[in-house]
Amino acid sequence: MGMNGGSGGGGGGMGSACYVYPGAPATPGFVTPDVLFQRGIYMNGSMTFDDGNSVTIWGFTDLAAGGGGGMTGGSFPSPAMRVTEGQIVHTALTVNMMWMHTVHHHGIEPSQENDGVGHFSWDVTNGTYTYQWRPSHAGTYFYHCHTNTPLHAEMGMYGGLIVDPVPNPNDPPGTKRAFANGPIYDVEAIWAADEIDPAWHTLQWSAGTCGGDVGLNNLNPRYFIITGVDGASSALTNPGVAVTMQKGQRLLVRYICAGFHPQKIDFGGLTATVVASDGRPLPQAWQTTSIEAHSAERYDCIFQPTTTGTWTVTVTYYHWRSGAVLGTARTRINVV
Amino acid sequence: MERRAFLKAGGASLASALMGSGMLTWSARSEAATISQTLYITDGTKTMPDGVSVYVKGYGTTANTPLIPAPSIICQEGDTLSITVYNMLSVTHNLVIGGLVSGSAPIASTGDIAPGGNKTLTYTIPSGAAGSYLFYDNKTSYNRFLGLHGGLAIMPAGISNQLYSGSPTFVKQQFWILNDIDPALNTAVKNGTTIPTNFTPRYFTINGLSSRPPGAAGHGDPTIDALYDPRSRLSGHVGDRTLVRMLNTGMCSHAVHTHANHMEWLTDRGTIRPAVWKKDTLYLRNNLGKIDAIFPFEAPPDAYPPVTSGHFPMHLHDEMSQTAGGGLYQFGSMTELEFL
Ligand SMILES: [Cu+2]
Ligand SMILES: [Cu+2]
Repeated sequence: MGMNGGSGGGGGGMGSACYVYPGAPATPGFVTPDVLFQRGIYMNGSMTFDDGNSVTIWGFTDLAAGGGGGMTGGSFPSPAMRVTEGQIVHTALTVNMMWMHTVHHHGIEPSQENDGVGHFSWDVTNGTYTYQWRPSHAGTYFYHCHTNTPLHAEMGMYGGLIVDPVPNPNDPPGTKRAFANGPIYDVEAIWAADEIDPAWHTLQWSAGTCGGDVGLNNLNPRYFIITGVDGASSALTNPGVAVTMQKGQRLLVRYICAGFHPQKIDFGGLTATVVASDGRPLPQAWQTTSIEAHSAERYDCIFQPTTTGTWTVTVTYYHWRSGAVLGTARTRINVV
Repeated sequence: MERRAFLKAGGASLASALMGSGMLTWSARSEAATISQTLYITDGTKTMPDGVSVYVKGYGTTANTPLIPAPSIICQEGDTLSITVYNMLSVTHNLVIGGLVSGSAPIASTGDIAPGGNKTLTYTIPSGAAGSYLFYDNKTSYNRFLGLHGGLAIMPAGISNQLYSGSPTFVKQQFWILNDIDPALNTAVKNGTTIPTNFTPRYFTINGLSSRPPGAAGHGDPTIDALYDPRSRLSGHVGDRTLVRMLNTGMCSHAVHTHANHMEWLTDRGTIRPAVWKKDTLYLRNNLGKIDAIFPFEAPPDAYPPVTSGHFPMHLHDEMSQTAGGGLYQFGSMTELEFL
């Protein structure tokens, strides 16, 4: 094990890789799963911002839905995974010989082989590795690549991961709960708040792994996004981000701090009832109008507005050292 | 575990209640004691993962070798701390014990220690002071970044398995002291030139070390590799609930992320949380932020088939901290969680 995996590619340019651990072995204890996700990767996606500029994006594809593998584009964030507590899940990741990637299901706590951390198992290349896991706690998670993680996560290699509780047989069919015996919700939003430094988006997949200063200690974001949509203005109205709900309905916002700098999400005057964090119910719900969070934290927030109206939600991003405001991203909750 | 890895305290003879390296061990006493320690403020260099040599200062136990962090000190409420500090350098330094609540004034100080001089800090710990403390040099705002820092654990009187009286219990305890290094600062201090005002850290440490992945020089060496440093690595069987006292002495806020288990979050910035939340990621503030949490060493709950052993990382999720010199992913602030 050790140095020198494949050659580079993706994001422009060749390059050698060091301290990568290529592999795609058989899954220990492989069984027939209840759910299968087939993930490929894409290395030539893009995101265009409200100012007209764009950057290269990498991510995962859904091979079952005909997603390509390699020099293609794909959705950003990567396709979400949704499973039910107690199911045996397979995430089959296929990567060709040009690159190495993994899937780490963040907050899911499987065996070492299935945790998707390169140097504790393997970086998948030239084949398929099937991650086998069985979620024991309903809640909000996300999955991301754990190879050259600062770069690959910044490049966009993440997607939502929701674990639903087993339906309560006493509930009417279709009832949605945040967790077993947890609050019922009618409308759901997944807000993954992230920041983009365009300077990082020109690097190749193994940048910096053999040494040399490629700037991975210094993230200077210029764009601030919510679930793949520019928070400058698009996210205010984008139907995949902004919420429109009926008065009297209950909204569950799954807030994911998907960037690397600390954030604060302010709900614009609405009060959130925070019922869970990091895939675990809170012992008592927490009422708050804003949440300070750092990279990879998740908070599940229930809203039940009692009047119609529009509330503007603002995520503020702070520099990890200086605390200076780096920028903001905004979306809306419209109650009609 | 080597002998030096253990702190021996308790009983009548208490010349020194500190550890060289390794986990904190503690036996509660029914009587108060005086905990004496002598430290030397010295300087030296440390080699970073990319080979760059960086000037450092630290509190050592000999007159010429800085230890970063300083040896940890553990004591209990009612004890008297007596810390004598010799300043072997040519500028004035000090040692203060920071307040329990982040942002509050230090609870004790040596006062200024002139070059070549020494001072003794004497402090009797009141009841209700149990918790995790950083001791450090606050003569400048940046001396602690250079390495002048260490951890102090104050146990509740007569209790050996709780952070504070009535807290969830643990069977082991350790410090994770995080620091961020911008060599431009260290070089300016060494050369006596203008201190930078805008730091950009390039190296990230846990208990003074960075990690070394398999295949790297120093991998597996507990004096070099933070993955294997017994002060940092959590190693246990299922049920070996481990209290981690996280102290942020550095410049940056961090997201402390454990694989394999969620942590039980007991305190934030010195204040007991109103309820214990289970978190896989904890927001550890800069500006002397701190967190106490228990890593429960439960069987990883989502494994199929079930497992009770394995190796997993604790890493900071602000992934810039996982690099060295602007690259070298996996050479940053990370340690290992070992399920035996
Ligand atoms: Cu990747
Ligand atoms: Cu993660």
